[in-house]
Amino acid sequence: MAGASTFHVSVVTPEGAVLDCEATSAAFPAFDGEIGILPNHAPLLAKVGIGVLRVTSGGETQRLFIDGGFAQVVDNRLSVLTEQARPVDELDGAAVDELFEQARAATGSDEASVEARDAAYERARVQRRLTRS
Amino acid sequence: MANRRAIVKRRKAVRNIKKITRTMQLIATARFQAALNRAVATRPYTDKLAELVADLSGVAEDFAHPLLESRETVKRSSLIILTSNRGLCGGYNANVLRTAVKHLREQKAAGIETDVHMVGKKGVSAFRFQQRPTVESITDIEDKPRFQQVEPIGQNLIERFLSGEVDAVHVAYMRFFSAGRQIPEVFQLLPLTQPATEGSGSTSYEIKPSAEKLLNEILPATVRMRLFQSFNDAAVSEQIARMAAMKAATEAAQDMIGNLTREYNRARQTQITLELLDIVGGANALN
Repeated sequence: MAGASTFHVSVVTPEGAVLDCEATSAAFPAFDGEIGILPNHAPLLAKVGIGVLRVTSGGETQRLFIDGGFAQVVDNRLSVLTEQARPVDELDGAAVDELFEQARAATGSDEASVEARDAAYERARVQRRLTRS
Repeated sequence: MANRRAIVKRRKAVRNIKKITRTMQLIATARFQAALNRAVATRPYTDKLAELVADLSGVAEDFAHPLLESRETVKRSSLIILTSNRGLCGGYNANVLRTAVKHLREQKAAGIETDVHMVGKKGVSAFRFQQRPTVESITDIEDKPRFQQVEPIGQNLIERFLSGEVDAVHVAYMRFFSAGRQIPEVFQLLPLTQPATEGSGSTSYEIKPSAEKLLNEILPATVRMRLFQSFNDAAVSEQIARMAAMKAATEAAQDMIGNLTREYNRARQTQITLELLDIVGGANALN
């Protein structure tokens, strides 16, 4: 395959496609750390964690907050499936702070609820960090 | 004279109602378009999920997951019924409820107890009137279902299924095929019916962390997505039903206006004839 200089990125959520464009590089948060993608990447399937997806094309970088899901790279296409994706600029500082306080105050009694609590806390924490920066 | 007045008044009332139903029809049409767009927007996600499942099950053969397991003895099941919050949509709710009640009877005949989770005010009040018990009533979902609203419902059902509280979960809703065809349907949400695993699997992926672990995540996501999709289908079908009902109402009003106009003209004519007869009678009497 002749080396292409860009690859296709699509971010889809249950409510529709959030992003659909060509990019020169991208980085998404995998469950255990960030994975960077450049054109002609080998086929990859990965679990996505909570964090920021960065997509660079033409010197501009878009940042999206994504909340778990899956990523697939095949044939120079990166597809990210997530249940929630929002541009970082659209996060609302006050609402996120409130979410953070709620998540911090929540308690869990059994294994499942502790897990849910931790996930909610992590989600709120990452969003809060993004609104502060 | 009094009769003519009454007819005019009635015709005016019908005309006003026609204006209202016509407007409601237009609103329903606009909402239908929006709902349809939302339902279509869920497609890429669903397709991608199915693709991933197919790819992964090629790698992880004879993979078993509790969400896929059919239980030998089914003692208790859950049924989610999706109805609308608002009326004036023809037989929409009645059709869904009839299908749901039929399912409930079948379950009962098979010795299975069923918990009903009712979504929509119309369904809630219908079941209250029929004195059928429901374990949960959800009325805060508008005609724009959001994934974040549906997700906790799906999560709750998954947990109940996994803990063994229920052995099967079904959803009764109006399935949307096309603008001209919607059919009330009961489908099985849990245990998940084995996804088709044909094709694909030809690409050798680098998989992180592992195919099994990914499937463990994807399967619940599939369940939530299927539930979300049925909510979307229901929303689209509701708008179509309302559109059809309001169109029929508008047409009926138009017919009624025609009939009333005819009746009014006849009454007017009769009166003129009577008056003429009076005049002619009077003139004759003078001669």
